[in-house]
Amino acid sequence: MSDRVHEAQGAGESLPESVAAARDPAAALHGRLLNVSRMATIGEMAAGVAHELNQPLTAIANYAHACERLLARPGADLDDLREALHQITAQTTRAAEIIRRLRALARSQQSDHVPVDLNKLIEELHELMKTDASLHGVSLTLELAPGLPEVAAAGSEIQQVVLNFLRNSLEALAAHPVSRPAVAISTAVVNGHGVQLTVCDNGPGLPAAVERQVFDPFFSTKENGTGLGLAISSTIARAHGGSVGYRANTPCGACFYIVLPTQLPE
Amino acid sequence: MQQQPPTVFIVDDDEGVRNSLRFLLKSVGHATRALASANEFLETYKPNQPGCLVLDVRMPGMSGLELQQQLNLRGAVIPVIFITGHGDIPMAVEAMQQGAFDFLQKPFRDQELIDRIQRALERDARSRAALDQHARIRERLDSLTPREREVLALMTRGKPNKIMAAELGVSQRTVEIHRARVMEKSGAASLAQLVRMVMDLEPDGASP
Repeated sequence: MSDRVHEAQGAGESLPESVAAARDPAAALHGRLLNVSRMATIGEMAAGVAHELNQPLTAIANYAHACERLLARPGADLDDLREALHQITAQTTRAAEIIRRLRALARSQQSDHVPVDLNKLIEELHELMKTDASLHGVSLTLELAPGLPEVAAAGSEIQQVVLNFLRNSLEALAAHPVSRPAVAISTAVVNGHGVQLTVCDNGPGLPAAVERQVFDPFFSTKENGTGLGLAISSTIARAHGGSVGYRANTPCGACFYIVLPTQLPE
Repeated sequence: MQQQPPTVFIVDDDEGVRNSLRFLLKSVGHATRALASANEFLETYKPNQPGCLVLDVRMPGMSGLELQQQLNLRGAVIPVIFITGHGDIPMAVEAMQQGAFDFLQKPFRDQELIDRIQRALERDARSRAALDQHARIRERLDSLTPREREVLALMTRGKPNKIMAAELGVSQRTVEIHRARVMEKSGAASLAQLVRMVMDLEPDGASP
């Protein structure tokens, strides 16, 4: 159990993978898949941390309750009390250690924002997304606007957003099959000072009633959904000074988009 | 029927939680036995040991739910109190459906656990007494001769001696003697109690 936080710590360490990637494209894809599946488990990780902290807290509460009971009786054995107090200290240290590791993890995940080309980020993901889409029997097209201005971003986080959007579309298409399931990923300049990345599908789209909630944490229309994919995407967008949104596709389907501010010229 | 003092078994893979539970339960005077895994418990536990089991749902290796299934398969009567974490409610529901005595969510108040353990031990004592009673009745009825069993079957169907005599082709006097033996061997104080005893055994297909 205690290894969970350690394991999750790997989530922020994608650099060595990209070095290996340059040599072996298959390994690159595998490395990315690994990284994606790690990122997909943020919700599970939170549950794991909660569980881990619960253990020492439960133990501390048990010892403290036992002490109260021992003290309520005449002639309490001091050695018993000493033992319980010693254990309370030990469990407190254990809880503090879990929190320390969690902090270290949070630090390791704070990534630097560097100028990136959104089109390039998508091209990097293309192979992975194509595989994922064809496994679902869905055709994937890219409509990348040429000459896109750069944005200041943590590339892997933006890529996670793209993958979250894509996964949403693929799952929607799997749940409500259509005759020619398709997803299109496009980029565009918007309002002169932002770039937009949009993932559109020809699935059922969202019922109007849930449009407003779809980015809320823990909101999910799927039976086994964590309700975190779009919420995390929204958090990532805000951390970049941008935003995420939804609009209905025409004639049918869903479009999820992220808008990021372009770098202001120095 | 040995009368061993009841033992509260604690099975939790987390050493800190396990030891704290043992300490707490010792402080209220329970005999305890703490084990780190489901397998250790299965190796240690004797079905004739009265007590109850405080069991962590989530454990590496055999989970709490799997241990419960093992116990069910072995026909063990020991009541199981599950300890669950926050996200484990579906598991707790499943455990209850499979006959768990109760469950508690971590962290819990000590009194809640102690009350549940008390009730579990009471239930264990009751079901063990019922099993003992069952075994005693079985033993007594097994001592009947084939003829006496025939008489018993007719008695529990409320047949009068005269009819029985005719059906069995013996004299009424002989029927009376068999009846007396059946009552004596079964230890029943009345025909009504005898019927009860036979009914008690019947659910497991023990009728003669």
